[in-house]
Amino acid sequence: MHGGRVGTTRRGAARSVVVASVLTATLTGTLTATAGCTVASHQEPGQATAAVADALAEARSAAQATRITVEQLSRGRLTGPVADTALLDQLRALDDAELALTTLVPPDATSSDQRSTGLSAVGDVTDVVVRAREWTAARSGGDLAGADAVPPTADALLADLATATGAVDDALAAAGGP
Amino acid sequence: MGAALGILTAIGGFVDIGDLVTNAVVGSRFGLSLVWVVVLGVVGICRFANMSGRVAAVSGRATFEIIRERLGPRAAGANLVASFAINLLTLTAEIGGIALALHLASSVEPRLWIPVAGLAVWLVLWRVKFDVMENVAGLLGLLLIGFAVALFLLGPDWGELLRQAVPPSPPANEHPAAYWYYAVALFGAAMTPYEVFFFSSGAVEERWTAKDLATNRVNVLIGFPLGGMLSVTIAACAAVVLLPAGIEVSSLSQIVLPVAQAGGVMLLAVVLVGIVAATFGAALETALSSGYSLAQYMGWSWGKFRRPAHAARFHLTMIVAVLLGVGILMTSVDPVTVTEMSVVFSAVALPLTYVPILVVANDPQYMGRYVNGRVVNALGTVYLVIVVVAALAAIPLMIATGAGS
Repeated sequence: MHGGRVGTTRRGAARSVVVASVLTATLTGTLTATAGCTVASHQEPGQATAAVADALAEARSAAQATRITVEQLSRGRLTGPVADTALLDQLRALDDAELALTTLVPPDATSSDQRSTGLSAVGDVTDVVVRAREWTAARSGGDLAGADAVPPTADALLADLATATGAVDDALAAAGGP
Repeated sequence: MGAALGILTAIGGFVDIGDLVTNAVVGSRFGLSLVWVVVLGVVGICRFANMSGRVAAVSGRATFEIIRERLGPRAAGANLVASFAINLLTLTAEIGGIALALHLASSVEPRLWIPVAGLAVWLVLWRVKFDVMENVAGLLGLLLIGFAVALFLLGPDWGELLRQAVPPSPPANEHPAAYWYYAVALFGAAMTPYEVFFFSSGAVEERWTAKDLATNRVNVLIGFPLGGMLSVTIAACAAVVLLPAGIEVSSLSQIVLPVAQAGGVMLLAVVLVGIVAATFGAALETALSSGYSLAQYMGWSWGKFRRPAHAARFHLTMIVAVLLGVGILMTSVDPVTVTEMSVVFSAVALPLTYVPILVVANDPQYMGRYVNGRVVNALGTVYLVIVVVAALAAIPLMIATGAGS
């Protein structure tokens, strides 16, 4: 009885040693294999350019949705809450686009430049959408009417948006987008 | 009057958050080049719902009672686990859809609306009679016809829309894998399994007999195709306004922009009420389907025609399902993403309900003289192949395309 328990314990200990050895070998192998990599998210130049183009296409989509929202609100065809929600959704989309660009590790100078230009363009669109939300709030009776950041008219806002969208289009074209 | 009400309810009840989001996403990216999938899905759901309604009316038993009887407890149990999980995912998407629609109308954070939506769903399930619940949600869902009105007001180039639809092919700027991924998603959205659980159990709830089969056939064969046309108008609105502007739909607010552009605040309000009603009705149906499937498998007392005290475990299952749905959404997961996942996994789960129904509809022991005819069986076999191919292709396509991105 006692001897049987000792036998079980020995078998258990031997199994633990085998499991520990396998885990050690796996971890060591993984670390050795990844030691040669520069960073975990390293990409080929073509992949990086495609990732920049995807992010910029998302930003362009948000900019266009903002344009329609502002146009419809200025014509009285949208309610304030719907416009505000729509603009908030575009800010989230722009946030996703910016995150995709900031977390990208460019493998060469070309894609690095594309990323920098893209980040700047996305930032410009984000600024205009933020101001569009302020304009919407001011239109809906918010106490922002005198604030400097609030565009005086929809036309002024749409002009700023067109400029920012143009920069996104240029960056997108440079990254091989449509 | 009764027949008209049934048809109107079938039209209004056809569209849910899965149809709404998937059709708008597809319209904004692929134009009308995937409209053939809606046609395929509508014909399929007509056959599927008609067959399951007939089985329930003739045999007096609902889907999961039959599945357990034919497949045995172990295989039916595996089927139940998979079906229940997909149904829960769909319920989560529908509750999220209600919250998103209310968020859009009010600009109040959706996380504040989620518990309200869950509570409202439970209250209706607890207190409101089956036929009232079904008819009110279906009729208010008809307000989604606002998308069709918007399409006409937009004055599109109809020839261009037709060119997008025929012959069907992926746009030059889209990868074919993404095109087929959305084809599967659209098919899953049109033929979600919960519709069959609800339809067959509803037939038992309303005490259908063989005499009701003609009415059932008319409701399904007229109501669902018209509901499918409503889905196409959602895609068409997106194709007319969002596609040329390069807007890829990622939120509910983008889906209603063409409506505002076409019809202004009034039409927008009508459509928003329609979206709330459609998603609310679908949330009721999916919550009921959770209770139906588990109670029928376990042999518990079930049905809204019984007082909650007499079908306590059935009602408890629905409460737990609604709480789980609310809990999942409160983790801040994006309801639109949940919706996109739910339609794809619906396609994966389709054979689990389709095959047993097809087998029983051919069994003279259950169906007597109402067994499937040759034409229905031929069509049923064609759909069996389509359903299996869609189920097998769904996950590989999802992985290959990064969920269509």
